[in-house]
Amino acid sequence: MAARGFLVAALLLSCLAVTCYGVTFSSLQRTLLVTASPTPGQVLEAKEEPKITVTWSLNQTFPAGIDSTYKTVKVKLCYAPISQVDRAWRKTVDNLVKDKTCQFKVVAKPYSPSNNSFTWTLEREVPSATYFVRAYAYNSEDVAAGYGQTTDAQKTTNLFEVQAISGRHASLDIASVCFSAFSVLSLGGFFFMEKQKARVSK
Amino acid sequence: PTPKDTDMELPNAATNSGDKKFALPVDSENKATEFRIYSAAAPHMRAFHLSWVSFFACFVSTFAAPPLLPIIRDNLNLTSTDIGNAGIAAVTGAVFARITMGTACDLFGPRLASAALILLTAPAVFCSAMANSPVSFLLVRFFTGFSLATFVSTQFWMSSMFSAPVVGTANGVAGGWGNLGGGATQLIMPLVFSLIRDIGVTKFTAWRIAFSIPALFQTLSAFAIFFLGQDLPDGNYSRLQKSGDKHKDNFKQVLYHAVTNYRGWILALTYGYCFGVELTVDNIIAQYFYDRFNVSLHTAGIIAASFGLANLFSRPGGGLLSDVVAKKFGMRGRLWTLWIVQMLGGLFCILLGKVGSLGVSVAVMLIFSVFVQAACGLTFGVVPFVSRRSLGVISGMTGGGGNVGAVLTQVIFFRGSRYSAETGITLMGVMIICCTLPLLFIFFPQWGGLFCGPSSKGITEEEYYMSEWNSTEKDKGFHKASLKFAHNSRSERGKKVDSALTPSNETPPTHV
Repeated sequence: MAARGFLVAALLLSCLAVTCYGVTFSSLQRTLLVTASPTPGQVLEAKEEPKITVTWSLNQTFPAGIDSTYKTVKVKLCYAPISQVDRAWRKTVDNLVKDKTCQFKVVAKPYSPSNNSFTWTLEREVPSATYFVRAYAYNSEDVAAGYGQTTDAQKTTNLFEVQAISGRHASLDIASVCFSAFSVLSLGGFFFMEKQKARVSK
Repeated sequence: PTPKDTDMELPNAATNSGDKKFALPVDSENKATEFRIYSAAAPHMRAFHLSWVSFFACFVSTFAAPPLLPIIRDNLNLTSTDIGNAGIAAVTGAVFARITMGTACDLFGPRLASAALILLTAPAVFCSAMANSPVSFLLVRFFTGFSLATFVSTQFWMSSMFSAPVVGTANGVAGGWGNLGGGATQLIMPLVFSLIRDIGVTKFTAWRIAFSIPALFQTLSAFAIFFLGQDLPDGNYSRLQKSGDKHKDNFKQVLYHAVTNYRGWILALTYGYCFGVELTVDNIIAQYFYDRFNVSLHTAGIIAASFGLANLFSRPGGGLLSDVVAKKFGMRGRLWTLWIVQMLGGLFCILLGKVGSLGVSVAVMLIFSVFVQAACGLTFGVVPFVSRRSLGVISGMTGGGGNVGAVLTQVIFFRGSRYSAETGITLMGVMIICCTLPLLFIFFPQWGGLFCGPSSKGITEEEYYMSEWNSTEKDKGFHKASLKFAHNSRSERGKKVDSALTPSNETPPTHV
């Protein structure tokens, strides 16, 4: 009786721990096969608003029923290690709640084992970096239960680059230069006026 | 009645050109003896408002980038090292700019010197909109940071307009309300950015447009200073120099008398460990709370802003405290209070690195901010008395020392991953305590130091300030302003000592 009570408590506690601290990435199995349209090393120009087609399906080599808990799939654009170097705001952390590897949502769809595909228009505000695509499968409590990605486990193959917009505009640049020149010239004007005032008062 | 009392109670300086009427009571140098914060009367209070607003604008510009870094770092592909270097660059430029500014104030007057600096650094803020790489980002932050030298012109201007009994308060409020810009910008820039974004501008362009606000504000403040401001209660340097009322001083002599005054060097070091620490914390505190306590970036920004916003009352409080203590205990009181407050600031800094819970940490941070900022105000209650001839360069050296402290603490404790942020903060507290000890060595022969009373040789204020002029210069009468100042500074003897001395007139005593 006491043992059963203890077991129930332990189970509840572990569930609580999981929902509080989030599941870890290393505990997930790579049950999905994901492909994306960019070829390895391709550079996508954000200003052209390129389209990326992502397809995902269940990896049939896993035992049947592994996807019984899967309810939704979220596909995300993730930073490759080379773009995470010396950038703590993009750090990979095992605890998925704190993980910052995948910061851009491509799509969220209900789960189905095959025939999944989505064409995404790259957002203009995606920064310049090297990326891969990852899909997470979530259960009904919205806790990650499985994943798949376009690259290998070390995240070194099949990566593509995005070249972001600079955000600069010719009109902004011209305005900046004009105002700068105005500041410096008005200073010259001040010195001239000051000399004149001194001359007059004498 | 002692000469001190009669000088201060004369509303219109009858000893000077009697046509001048001032809204505030003045002393024999026409410096205001009262500080009325709600007034904008020319020239004293108007100079106050012009100087704190322009200094505030420069602070907003210099620290405009940190709150927008999450967007800028993605746009310009910055690494943590790039960001750290740019932060150090932002405070490095002002080290030498502040010393140069001090010299410029001594020679050209604070009005032209500050207007010139503000207009010359405004292009860096305007051109921030064109930054497209880590290098260009570092360069704009470096050149924008030069504008923090307006601090020196602010303090110099206040020291020229306000008399000894209120100079600490005037300097403290002007400096504190200017420093407020470092906190206000953490709220202003994200707000401007989101307004521009709401119009529909993409974020990589919106942050660039947002920089035009601090740039325009800065430029406008320079115009206001030029057209509405005045160097001295009696007029502007250029007119006074032409009419012979003020001579154009010798640059080499001004520099020599500043550099050979050891008190200036000690204050430069200690200021690095109140103001310098304040600048460092402005740069690192948001990240510290974000990383250690996992608050949102928005919350971290608000906490960071509150550190800077404490300047609204803490630095002015320091200046006021300096003046209040001086009434009874004179310069010795000012020095003791500065030492105690800055030491306590160091203790709270050590504590800040050690507390592990969010609520307590924020509370300790706020207490720490009050002590450290009050120490800044207290420092500039002492600076106006170190030298009269070279007031500008001494102010510049002290101000520059503040920035050196900021560079040193960031390079030693907050760069790379040698120390965790909390260890860095604790060690910085230890360094504050060590670098505040030199205050014990400051000694004014006419007033004393922390452990000694005034020199037994009976050296007077006049002798101390006259030692900055040689006999040729005295023959030409260049020393007259210093003489007036020396006389007015007798209040620094404190109440107990003053009543024991017999009143003397303006000629220096013959004995040594």
